[in-house]
Amino acid sequence: MSNDPDKVWPTGLTLREAEEVHSYLIDGTRVFGVIALIAHILVAVSTPWLG
Amino acid sequence: MFKYKSFALRKISGVGVRYLPFADAASDDVPLSRLLRLSLFQVTVGMALVLMVGTLNRVMIVELRVPATLVGVMLALPLVFAPFRALIGFRSDRFKSALGLRRLPYIFKGTMLQFGGFAIMPFALLVLSGYGEAIDAPRWIGLGSAALAFLLVGAGVHIVQTIGLALATDLVPEEDQPKVVGLMYVMLLVGMIVSAFSYGALLENYTPGRLIQVIQGSAVITVALNFFAMWKQEARNRARAMAQTEPEASFAEAWARLTERRGMIRLLAIIALGTAGFGMADVLLEPFGGQVLMMSIAETTRLTVFLACGSLVGFVMASRWLGAGARPIDMAIYGAMIGIPAFGLIVWSSTLLSVPMLLGGTLLAGFGAGLFGHGTLTATMRSAPREQIGLSLGAWGAVQATSAGLAIAVGGVVRDAIVATEAVGASASTPYTSVFMIEVGLLTLGLLFALPLRGKDAGRSVDDNTAETSYLSAVAERQGTQQPFAGGRTS
Repeated sequence: MSNDPDKVWPTGLTLREAEEVHSYLIDGTRVFGVIALIAHILVAVSTPWLG
Repeated sequence: MFKYKSFALRKISGVGVRYLPFADAASDDVPLSRLLRLSLFQVTVGMALVLMVGTLNRVMIVELRVPATLVGVMLALPLVFAPFRALIGFRSDRFKSALGLRRLPYIFKGTMLQFGGFAIMPFALLVLSGYGEAIDAPRWIGLGSAALAFLLVGAGVHIVQTIGLALATDLVPEEDQPKVVGLMYVMLLVGMIVSAFSYGALLENYTPGRLIQVIQGSAVITVALNFFAMWKQEARNRARAMAQTEPEASFAEAWARLTERRGMIRLLAIIALGTAGFGMADVLLEPFGGQVLMMSIAETTRLTVFLACGSLVGFVMASRWLGAGARPIDMAIYGAMIGIPAFGLIVWSSTLLSVPMLLGGTLLAGFGAGLFGHGTLTATMRSAPREQIGLSLGAWGAVQATSAGLAIAVGGVVRDAIVATEAVGASASTPYTSVFMIEVGLLTLGLLFALPLRGKDAGRSVDDNTAETSYLSAVAERQGTQQPFAGGRTS
């Protein structure tokens, strides 16, 4: 495993593999963020909690 | 000094592949428990369908007092995405991934969309119905957010179901496919039945807070079940990860290649006709029982139960017969042949005013629908070459979901149109029986389309893969699915 120069410390993934895993994480975070934002706006419209 | 690097390395290598979300090898025999776990995604699909078509349909009209037409439009929105199933399946077949995955990323994204839709749906519905201060808010906020929520859930359901079925097909050898199809259908039905009862019980005493809890609870359950279902299911495929140079086939080319297979277009036409034929009465059976045969609510609920039980028996029997060597297209033909007299019985029951006859017809119709659905899905799975499974299951889903949705809409419209034009005093059964007669017509048409396929050994003709050997990646792909992506072991 360690004799493959593409594989990087510490996970043993190649750079492209690592970037792909990262992209799923980022996608998930973005979706969660946008959904949370929309949900907060909608709640604020029906029951205003910002004063 | 403490050696952080070697410590971390030791820890991480100690974790091993046990905690990684992919299978370490695509073994030849997939145990039933693993298939059972995979089929959980169908439970979430069933849950979403029941919540949207059944529960929210009622809650929006009765409790939230949203106009019925607006509710109809909102609930029909996910249908817009149904034709894109073919495209999603195709994209998944060709998905470029350094990890050598092609199904998991899509199930993950689909689950995210479904979750997101459920997460904002209750608030969107409350704003739409003008709850609290939302009565003063501009109208487009409620309309837009409710539409967005339904679109997100719909898109998520389409993606998860298409790619989940493709993954299931990837996993098992051809002779086990009937078993998997049966399992998937049964789990869909189980998900629908269980969630219908739970939603009914949970929303017994409706409050806005309870609505939020129920829908967001569904969101969490969706994510939990889908993640549990896809954990360790797909093997990483080194050959596919490395093959980054293969020529990019366009969707049109891939579609042309799929449809030039003998019997494929015909099969899709049969699926469209049969699904519409069986599905048109789904939402009309209960009002038919209530208005024409004067059945109580408890009795009309029994109609739906009978329909579901019939389908369940149909799935199980089809699995058994197909496992014993019957051909999928024959199952579809038998299904249609049972469906025609079944709807005949239902029509006849309205003249005799016989409840047992209606129940019997309903049971038979469910049985026929089960055989038909199982047969056509198995035929689709077998008709696809290994590298086009996503596309062909996408085509199945697109045709099936579109025609089921359109059938329900058309059934409702036909009934309402006849009710509107009918002279006063005309029989209450006419609007319903005309819809049932349309179903008989559709099934007969589907049967006529299917019979020629039977003559020439069709069950096999679409799955002989000899024509595909010219295709570059077919062989590599086929071998690739059997090879483990076992990091160090292959080198």
